[in-house]
Amino acid sequence: MALNTLPNAGLTNRGYPSDRLVTPIIINGDMSVAQRGTSFSFSSSSGFTVDRFDFERTSGATGDCTITQESDAPSNTGLVKSVKIAVDTAETPTGGGNCLFQQKLEGFNVAPLEHGQSNPPSATLSFWVKSNKTGTYSVQVKAEGSTGRYVLFDYTISSANTWEKKIITWVGDTSVALDYDSSRRLRVIWHLASGPNDKVSPTSSWATSSIFQMSSNAVNFFDDASNEIYFTGVQLEVGEFDSTSIPAFPFESFANNLNRCMRYCQKNPQTSSGGDYKVTASGFADGASLALCSINPFSVEMRTVPSLTSSGSFRIHKSGGASSVSGVTIDSDTSGSTSFTIRCTTSSLTSGQGVFLEQSNDSDAHIILDAEL
Amino acid sequence: MINTVKKIYSKNSFSYKVIYTDGTEWSVPHNEENRHYQEILEWVANGGTITDPGA
Repeated sequence: MALNTLPNAGLTNRGYPSDRLVTPIIINGDMSVAQRGTSFSFSSSSGFTVDRFDFERTSGATGDCTITQESDAPSNTGLVKSVKIAVDTAETPTGGGNCLFQQKLEGFNVAPLEHGQSNPPSATLSFWVKSNKTGTYSVQVKAEGSTGRYVLFDYTISSANTWEKKIITWVGDTSVALDYDSSRRLRVIWHLASGPNDKVSPTSSWATSSIFQMSSNAVNFFDDASNEIYFTGVQLEVGEFDSTSIPAFPFESFANNLNRCMRYCQKNPQTSSGGDYKVTASGFADGASLALCSINPFSVEMRTVPSLTSSGSFRIHKSGGASSVSGVTIDSDTSGSTSFTIRCTTSSLTSGQGVFLEQSNDSDAHIILDAEL
Repeated sequence: MINTVKKIYSKNSFSYKVIYTDGTEWSVPHNEENRHYQEILEWVANGGTITDPGA
């Protein structure tokens, strides 16, 4: 059991009763784990950035920006990393276009919010933010049960280029339950720009809608190519807290944080350090041009059967030599959420040979397995 | 956004090779909880056609 899931004896400085479990609902809220890399460019595209946080744009917006993991964080907080979103091309979204930064939460992790119950607790979102562009921004909490529901809040960045801590509290939704399953059931969304169709008044009462909604009070963060905004220290607490009572950021060990991220994404090999021929998987030759190589078992069970993408050069290492790999795909017969078999297209194998799938003089070659929400 | 989707057969089942407009390529399982498979379903609903070379 991870340390942070133990009853919080010794952790009462976080303000919890002694029997409270303290596994953070938001994963990687300190932006420290970045398996996919530390710099991401988007233009008419969406995708993940640091682990568990993704940028999404919808039709009507281009979302031309660069998102980076930064070593810039508010002082005296213990936070070290942040995410910076820098606009590359100014735009004003049209229609229902949106540009937003978000974390999607799995149904298994949001049960403590007790949506659909007669007396659900309050919830409090806290985060640090910094931007050169001051003004009103908005956060949408979007529930995805049988009916789409949301609350929408304004927050203000008062001072340019200064870290500010924001705290937002709401009461849980009594009307629509969130299924207890491995599907996407809640999103915390930091809106950056929206077209006119999706702008509405903020509301602290749960309203029905299944689309993105940005506050009509909010600035267009994408209105200037010099705009940039930083986020870190994101935490979602059960209970009503203010600036004086909010518990300290729920730090986990880096290893625990990485393990929780690996339910959704696993990079293999994990780092580029070490040799240029690190082994990714092992298996056997299934004919002259196909090797079946398994990662078995995963160190953490993934949320569902993952997708695979690869980067860099790989080879099949066999007795007496090696053959380059021209393609890797999932072997759907033998892959699941706890193990994964890779079909490697190669050459010059002898059926039944034992083989390794390894980097080919490329220390950064890697495979990404993705079971994100 | 998805550009092309091709069915890839294993011995007893199949997966999908998905190429996005930004050039990224994913190998995707036939699994309703997988987000890339959900995107394939949405792409097909919007008129996309999966290339099927046969088993």
